[in-house]
Amino acid sequence: MSEATHESTLLSRAGELFFRPGKVIITFFEHLGRYMGTIGWMLYNFRNARDYSGNILQQMVTIGNNSVPIVLFVSMFVGMVTAVQSSYQLYDWIPRSVVGALVTKSVLLELTPLLTALVLAGKVGATITAELGTMRVTEQIDALEALAFDPISFLITPRVLAGIFMFPILVILGDFVAILGGMFGASAIAGIPTEAFVDGMKSSFETWDAGFGIIKATVFGFIITSVSCYQGFQVQGGSEGVGNATMNTVVITCLSVVVMDFILASVLL
Amino acid sequence: MIQLTNIWKAFGEKQVHKGLNLEVRDNETLVIIGRSGGGKSVLLKMIIGLITPDSGSITVDGKEVSSLTYKQLQRLRFKFGFLFQGAALFDSMTVGQNIELALRRHSDFKDADIADRVSYALQLVKLENVEHLMPSSISGGMKKRVGLARAIALTPKYMLYDEPTTGLDVETADGINLLINELKTTLGVTSVVVTHDIHSAFVVGDRFAIFENGQFIMTGTKDDIRNSPNPEVRKYIESDIQT
Repeated sequence: MSEATHESTLLSRAGELFFRPGKVIITFFEHLGRYMGTIGWMLYNFRNARDYSGNILQQMVTIGNNSVPIVLFVSMFVGMVTAVQSSYQLYDWIPRSVVGALVTKSVLLELTPLLTALVLAGKVGATITAELGTMRVTEQIDALEALAFDPISFLITPRVLAGIFMFPILVILGDFVAILGGMFGASAIAGIPTEAFVDGMKSSFETWDAGFGIIKATVFGFIITSVSCYQGFQVQGGSEGVGNATMNTVVITCLSVVVMDFILASVLL
Repeated sequence: MIQLTNIWKAFGEKQVHKGLNLEVRDNETLVIIGRSGGGKSVLLKMIIGLITPDSGSITVDGKEVSSLTYKQLQRLRFKFGFLFQGAALFDSMTVGQNIELALRRHSDFKDADIADRVSYALQLVKLENVEHLMPSSISGGMKKRVGLARAIALTPKYMLYDEPTTGLDVETADGINLLINELKTTLGVTSVVVTHDIHSAFVVGDRFAIFENGQFIMTGTKDDIRNSPNPEVRKYIESDIQT
């Protein structure tokens, strides 16, 4: 390799290193702008949602009812693990009823909303992106537009509304099951009497804790459904594009959920 | 009438349209012939405002498509039926639901009338008793017919066909060509057909536009095309003779 070519290659690599972060930042803001545009369009045409009430009910079943088993399963084990670990960490130097208090607080404030959101980011988010992405690459979304439908009102709004309505309900169900799981774990594994667990639970329970969990669930429901819809709409290419968008959805929604979790806790607690 | 004037369009670095001019006259079937992946389908999507040209003008019945508001654009789309290359049926809905979707949204028909319209549209494309079937359980040729039935359900003034015979066997493709001709006579629609299949083009077309490297290199009747000395045009004629 001649000296001039070598120099030119080095310059090109240096340039690439310099410009790559810039490109990533520009792409990020491009997507953020388009995402905000989609949300803005959805809100501006919100009254159209009435015309698609059937779609909303159908999505409530898909997003909500179909997710009940996995949410209950995860919540049950989250409650049991929290009880067992709390009693393991605190057993010798605190009253046993504290385990009930700890489980209740942890489950209501953090564990059920967060873990439900992370599980549903995979289940609901990936499903929505794959479904809408496939519709995009098979021209079904173009066909909707050709039939004079607004695809955002027809496809995105019902999913986002269903997410906003159903995530809190799933979290409320999850809270109940997680506390029952905690009670079972505490008594069966850690040997803590149910009465002591219930005493701790009652003494520590505050309505706001449950309300905070529900607020978080609503926000997470919005983030997961809106991001996954946006990703599905942006798919380009064929099955590879659908796969990439689905992966992006899971990564972006999981990261957004944990960041928003911190923001909400900082602001509201 | 549809009029395209000096249309330019690029996707990234690739310039797909380089100053296209075209006129589609009322009650004719204009066929755009060109190789796959050249940008013919993009042209159809531009006509109904699904894709916007970088520059140039598209007018439908004297209205400039790019200057319409979203509501006006939706109203304009009522005038069009679009048969997509892969039919683009909504795979979560039955055949009947696919066809009645636009009727329920955009017409005042009662349930019974909608059922009649669905049956009539299916009858026009030579299908019966398939309303309850899912798109995944029907053949490619049937999907195209259902796509066609969905496109004509609102009795459009214009029909846009994107590669209507691609991926079909000769017999099924001939059936679709026949349907395109029948719909023209039955419904009196003005049609734009995009295809790389010169045989189908000559069966359904009144006029032809040869699309090559982002430009129309020739427009004319069947005889004009057949007698053209242009080698780029001849290659399509020769491919027809060989088949």
